[in-house]
Amino acid sequence: MAMTATIGRAHADPHHIGLVVEHPGPAPKRTVTAYGFWVFLLSDIVMFSCFFAAYAVLVSQTADGPKGSEIFEQRNVAIETVCLLLSSFTCGMASIAADVRNRFWFYLGMAVTCLLGVIFLVIEFREFADLVSRGYGPSRSAFLTAFFSLVGCHGLHVSAGVLWLLTMMAQVFAKGFRADVLRRMMCFALFWHALDIIWVGVFSVVYLLGSGV
Amino acid sequence: MSDQTHMNGEHDIAPGDEEQHSVGERIVGYVVGLGLALLLTATSFFIAGTDLVWQPSIPVALIVLAIAQMGVHLVFFLHITTGPDNTNNVLALAFGLLVVFLVVGGTVWIMGHLNQNMPPMDQFIRMHS
Amino acid sequence: MPAGRTVEGTMLGKLDWSAIPFEQPIPLIAGGVVLVGILAVLIWVVVKGHLPYLWHEWITSVDHKRIGVMYILLASVMLLRGGSDAIMMRIQQAIAYQSQGYLPPEHYNQIFSAHGTIMIFFVAMPFVIGLMNLIVPLQLGVRDVAFPTLNSVGFWLTATGALLVNLSLVIGEFARTGWLAFPPLSELSYSPGVGVDYYAWSLQISGVGTLVAGVNLVTTVLKLRTKGMNYLRMPMFCWTTLASNLLIVAAFPILTATLAMLLLDRYLGFHFFTNEAGGNVMMFMNLIWAWGHPEVYILVLPAFGIFSEVVSTFSGKALFGYRSMVLATMAICVIAFMVWLHHFFTMGAGPDVNAIFGIASMIIAVPTGVKIYNWLFTMYGGRIRFTTPMLWAVGFMVTFIIGGLTGVLVAVPPADFMLHNSMFLVAHFHNVIIGGVLFGAFAGFEYWFPKAFGFRLDERWGKLAFWFTFTGFYVTFVPLYVAGMLGMTRRLQHYDVAEWRPWMIVAAIGMAVLSIGVICQIMQLVVSIRNREALRDRTGDPWDGRSLEWATSSPPPVFNFAFHPDVRGEDAYWDMKLSAQQQSLDHEEPEYHDIEMPRNSPTGFVCAFFATIMGFALIWHIWWMVILGGIGAFATFVVFAWRDHDEYVIPAAEVAAIDRVNLEERRNLVSMAGAI
Repeated sequence: MAMTATIGRAHADPHHIGLVVEHPGPAPKRTVTAYGFWVFLLSDIVMFSCFFAAYAVLVSQTADGPKGSEIFEQRNVAIETVCLLLSSFTCGMASIAADVRNRFWFYLGMAVTCLLGVIFLVIEFREFADLVSRGYGPSRSAFLTAFFSLVGCHGLHVSAGVLWLLTMMAQVFAKGFRADVLRRMMCFALFWHALDIIWVGVFSVVYLLGSGV
Repeated sequence: MSDQTHMNGEHDIAPGDEEQHSVGERIVGYVVGLGLALLLTATSFFIAGTDLVWQPSIPVALIVLAIAQMGVHLVFFLHITTGPDNTNNVLALAFGLLVVFLVVGGTVWIMGHLNQNMPPMDQFIRMHS
Repeated sequence: MPAGRTVEGTMLGKLDWSAIPFEQPIPLIAGGVVLVGILAVLIWVVVKGHLPYLWHEWITSVDHKRIGVMYILLASVMLLRGGSDAIMMRIQQAIAYQSQGYLPPEHYNQIFSAHGTIMIFFVAMPFVIGLMNLIVPLQLGVRDVAFPTLNSVGFWLTATGALLVNLSLVIGEFARTGWLAFPPLSELSYSPGVGVDYYAWSLQISGVGTLVAGVNLVTTVLKLRTKGMNYLRMPMFCWTTLASNLLIVAAFPILTATLAMLLLDRYLGFHFFTNEAGGNVMMFMNLIWAWGHPEVYILVLPAFGIFSEVVSTFSGKALFGYRSMVLATMAICVIAFMVWLHHFFTMGAGPDVNAIFGIASMIIAVPTGVKIYNWLFTMYGGRIRFTTPMLWAVGFMVTFIIGGLTGVLVAVPPADFMLHNSMFLVAHFHNVIIGGVLFGAFAGFEYWFPKAFGFRLDERWGKLAFWFTFTGFYVTFVPLYVAGMLGMTRRLQHYDVAEWRPWMIVAAIGMAVLSIGVICQIMQLVVSIRNREALRDRTGDPWDGRSLEWATSSPPPVFNFAFHPDVRGEDAYWDMKLSAQQQSLDHEEPEYHDIEMPRNSPTGFVCAFFATIMGFALIWHIWWMVILGGIGAFATFVVFAWRDHDEYVIPAAEVAAIDRVNLEERRNLVSMAGAI
């Protein structure tokens, strides 16, 4: 009787507000690992927020150097954005493939993700190289300092992601879809999606808003 | 410790994990997310370069669109929901966002005031020479 | 272009024989003594054949208890280093009236910079992280932390940072910029030496270690709790651990980003904080204090948790106002991020900004006040036992209130304009850091030492240590308040004002008393180790404790608990003891199961080895060595990821054998208590 009453109440109150639910004990390893990585990602985002803040403070300090609108190429940024967006999608496909243990689709998804990531990096690298060759390197002005650091920091993260991605593929090749490999794959997917979210901030704040300054 | 993903009824779900869905449903989720994200991105780029909208509204619009797109990514790619098994994940996210907001907002606010209160450098040098 | 390019061309970057300070006897002798000491210990270890034991049981250990002990050991050794810096400064200021004293300015500046850096990053941080590592899993009733191997990596990276700071004593120099290395002084044009690089890289490396520890402990508290351990049943120390590590996770990336910007300025000619090309010096103060203020609470919150445990145990009462305590802790956790501007009121942000941050700073005193009252009411009507940990707790309450009140004083912007960068400020923050964090660390050390090693510490020497430290603290720092009121600014290598002199002499005498306290503490350890059989804790519950860490033996077995305890309320172990007495003990033996534990791993040590190489190479611009270190670190991770067996099994029979001994002792304890 009391039992059914509790169950009824649990259904009406999915968040268990006002009801003491006994804690079931330590969480499964997959939850623990992913949660820990989630907390790390949040700290990484806080780190990015400092570079965003620095950019916001320094964006008008061009020291008679070029302004954002003079050096940003909207077309390149659009291609980069589409690359990262699609790679987020293919990364999601690879995660699904990993969950159902389908090697073919996993390798395909990861390979496409890797390719898109590398295209992104190449475009970014060429943009940087072009700016430096024109004398607009990071030492030119505080604005360029902030620009190179923020975008470069994201680029470094993508590079680390590509390295991790290749390691993941090698791990699946050598070890198969073992539980620990699947946990790492899950963390990698979180990482890659988070980088895409940060890129949304980068293209909106740096390239689109920054062109208006 | 077990590695069962979707069987832990009593436990919180791992961030990034979905509630139990078939492969087809999960793919549809990503497709919808991709579509929405592309749409929002296109709008951002369009608005930034157009003369068709009232110019002072552009920065606000860009920020709103960026936040909307981040939301889309969180929901469709990272599977953050309001479900009870997601409370921990959402709380951690909320704390992180609060800190991001405080650091960025606080810095812009403080540095703006410092800049404003600083005498222009040439005037400063005249004062002290 | 990279600034380092100009000196490149040799294999060793900027490093040559001029880096060794042959002309400065003090650091050279100090460094030599330390080096001889380390070598002697190493030789002793090798000759006596302890190396395999050290390697298998400690260096590669992923056991949270062992790692916690190593953190505390690191902190204690560094406390002696930071303390000797303090003694040198006090002596210098006592004699440098109208004279140069005995420390030349460039050396004195290094000493106060190293003192602050070491005390915060390599004493206070490892001490509290060590205690949290040691105790939190036990209090939560679980077998390990969330990420045991990462835990080891975090510890060894912290140790790397400490090693690099101390290396600067003999190879090169340390920063002369103060413990936060404010630009433009810390920029390349004003600090061309390697001092700031030593400072920044050691903090970057140990910062990664701290972040890892933070992620690990947040996840442990939120995801690994024993059955029935609901949030509102966690011991207070677990709550403050959660809050403190949430702050670590949110604040340390700010430090990392800020120091990265400073390093980019120094190494690659960027313009974040330079005077030229639009850089903004004030942004450094802003960013570093956005980390720096939460850091204060990162340190003091665990101390608050320790005092909560100590006060409630030794008053024989449940903590008064548990829920208000939880609320106060979490309020501090959030408000800690809203007050950072009070460190630079005088930079001139204007009245509205200063007023808002001033008010926020005063508001944060409210939850702290709530805590003080809760401790007082816990003691009220309790049966108080004045053991050494309790003495530290009471000493803390008195001292911290004074420090807190002077803190509210400097939170008022107009008052701060008078007191900014004065000795008053120095006295204030030592008042809260020593009175809060250090007293807390000592209380925790005395309280949990029996749990970690299986024997209690000598009470007589402990009490002597407390009284000398307590008295010495006041004799040292009250004069500094006065000197600050008389207008003395901080970091003076010498001065010409006659009124300051007597106070500096009194402070130096206080420092001597404080040093006697430290000697007593060392004596306590020596005496206790020699008398360990007499002080042995056989029951695992030497203080009549209330939380789960006392439910297992001292020292706990590697798996902590044979069974995950089933928690039914706050003060879990107290409830168990009460119900065991009532039920007159059933002697039925439980059914034991195999236990899986994580295998030891040298990953942390090897990572730290490569991090040391990389850090050293970066400081001295030895680029090939940087690349080598980076490849080594990556390879370590890949090798670690490739291993097939990361857990080993302790068979049920072995678990049973260990647990039976513990249960027997415990039954004796309970039946004795029942007889009384």
